[in-house]
Amino acid sequence: MNKKDLRIILENEENDFLYQKSKSNLNITFNRIAFIFFIIFIICIIYSIHLIHLGSRKEKTENLSNFKQTSSILYRADIVDRNQKYLVKTINSIDIGISPTKIIDEKKLLLNLRYIFPNKNYYEVKKRIRKGKFFYFEKKISEENYDKLMQLGDKSIEPIDNLIRIYPQKNLFSHIIGQIDNDNNGISGLEKSLDEDLKNVQKPITLTVDKDIQYLIREELIRFNEIFSTKGSAAILMNVSNGEILSLVSLPDFDPNKREKISDISFINRATKGVYEFGSVFKTFTLAAAFDQKIIEPQTEFADLPKSLNCAGFPIREYDDNIPSNLTAEQILIRSGNIGSVRIGQKLGEEKFKSFLSKIGISEKINFDIEEVGNPIKFNWGKCPLATASFGHGITTTLLQLAKAYSIIVNGGYDINPKLIKNYKENKKGKILDEEVSKKILPILRKIVSTKEGTASLANVNGYEIGGKTGTAQKSMIGGYSNKKINSFISVFPTSKPQFVLAVMLDEPKTNKDYIYHYRDGSNIKYKGTPFNTAGWTTVETVGQIVDKIGPILATKYKEIN
Amino acid sequence: MKKFSVIFLILFLILFTAFIKNSTKRTDDQIFVIKENLRSLNKDFENFKLENDYLSSAEKLLEFQYLYFDDELVKNDIRNINTINIRNNKLEIERFRFINE
Repeated sequence: MNKKDLRIILENEENDFLYQKSKSNLNITFNRIAFIFFIIFIICIIYSIHLIHLGSRKEKTENLSNFKQTSSILYRADIVDRNQKYLVKTINSIDIGISPTKIIDEKKLLLNLRYIFPNKNYYEVKKRIRKGKFFYFEKKISEENYDKLMQLGDKSIEPIDNLIRIYPQKNLFSHIIGQIDNDNNGISGLEKSLDEDLKNVQKPITLTVDKDIQYLIREELIRFNEIFSTKGSAAILMNVSNGEILSLVSLPDFDPNKREKISDISFINRATKGVYEFGSVFKTFTLAAAFDQKIIEPQTEFADLPKSLNCAGFPIREYDDNIPSNLTAEQILIRSGNIGSVRIGQKLGEEKFKSFLSKIGISEKINFDIEEVGNPIKFNWGKCPLATASFGHGITTTLLQLAKAYSIIVNGGYDINPKLIKNYKENKKGKILDEEVSKKILPILRKIVSTKEGTASLANVNGYEIGGKTGTAQKSMIGGYSNKKINSFISVFPTSKPQFVLAVMLDEPKTNKDYIYHYRDGSNIKYKGTPFNTAGWTTVETVGQIVDKIGPILATKYKEIN
Repeated sequence: MKKFSVIFLILFLILFTAFIKNSTKRTDDQIFVIKENLRSLNKDFENFKLENDYLSSAEKLLEFQYLYFDDELVKNDIRNINTINIRNNKLEIERFRFINE
């Protein structure tokens, strides 16, 4: 029994021992794994912190590299022409200001400044320091002087980043580009209308204009301003198929680099803002409206046209006394007949004529890329006003609207909107006129230039098939009309496949007894002196000379427009 | 075993990401330096272009013409301009046409 008991005890002890051993082993293994995991966890934490650090470091770099470009104060996009030539360029500059409150040693500071800027008036500087308020010591300093100033290590010297807007073409695009104020906000032209875009767009803004063509047109306008002693002039060259403006000149102009405040009314943008009576150029619209309504054909005859008409007590006379009494519709436009145009207008009727003018964008203010756009004076329609409007008397518009309207009439009747900003995605607009209108009008416009009966033979430059209509209008004044004139010529070329409209106006041209005209009819006849200050002797000659200069460029460089 | 593999995989990915991130740090720095250099070169390019635009403007070119070429450079008549076309390996000179005659 004792033996048996002893054995049982031994067994118990053995089980107990095994259990104890096993329990102890498990504990040791668990602690080791936990320890390793703990170490790895720490490593992970360290790496994670490192990762976060690296991540945030990259973010900082990106912010730094974009900082200058996204700042609205220190950024303003450049403007280039259609050939990527600079019209406006922004250059960053540094102005130096002085905070008198931070000056430790005034004598030392002034001595150092005198060494770097010896030509400054230090009596004035001292006075300003004593006032105790921050002031600009020097603006637009050179990099060399900036380095010297920074080496002084004076805390009272505060560099302030600024930008300089440079207009390398000087006066050439002044009426298009406009100006900015001292806070870099646009105050006129595209600088104003594109103000937000210029501050935010990262790439240069491309315009439709060509700086070389603009230069050549401006030079000719300046020349003829002197020849005809005009008060001012304007010209617009437009692509008839998409409304892109290749040149827009208004004289007198100004140099935007000088940042002068312009309050003189003679600096008005005559191409877009000036609202004038243009006279006979409206006769094209009367005839085109009649063609559009299919009321008449070019060969429709108008018989027994009187030499004068009475309208509300005022006479309407022919400009040319030798004009025949029997004329076709085509001849009325070629010879610029007033009475004939009145007859066409009367056949057309007030509503249809009004609607036509509205359709081609003549009678209301149009949307344009700059804000300086004129608003035509409201025309009070009626029986007599219809008669006068038929030959362009009493009705006003802008040169820009004339260029647009002529483009629509000759491009097959497609609506276009004049534009200065290049948009590679063309927005095709709908057809608003019958295609036949262009086909019927173009040969007539060509005959105005190419025939003896026409009023614009001085613009018959060989090789360009120029067509167009002249307009001589008296300037209105309080209570009537003055003897001062607005002469215009709206030309289209080539008439066989119109590509460009060139609209030119001269404000108050006078005759010149010394100017020599070269007839363009192949006779080589020269004629000295301007007999009349009418469009046929002034603006037509100007257009002829302009096409002589820009024609080869347009014909070859812009061949792709075909 | 499955749990252990997942934990190991996660740890491996963390370590691998950290390693890659660390090695791209150098590339990031290089990109930053190149970008900075590019910006400075662009600035130089813009300034040269501005100078070129000014010197090659119509105004300057006409000035140079009067100074150096007298009457050597003259306006070309559109009727004297010809175009060269290559058709069937043959050169053909044709009159330049701006208008449909």
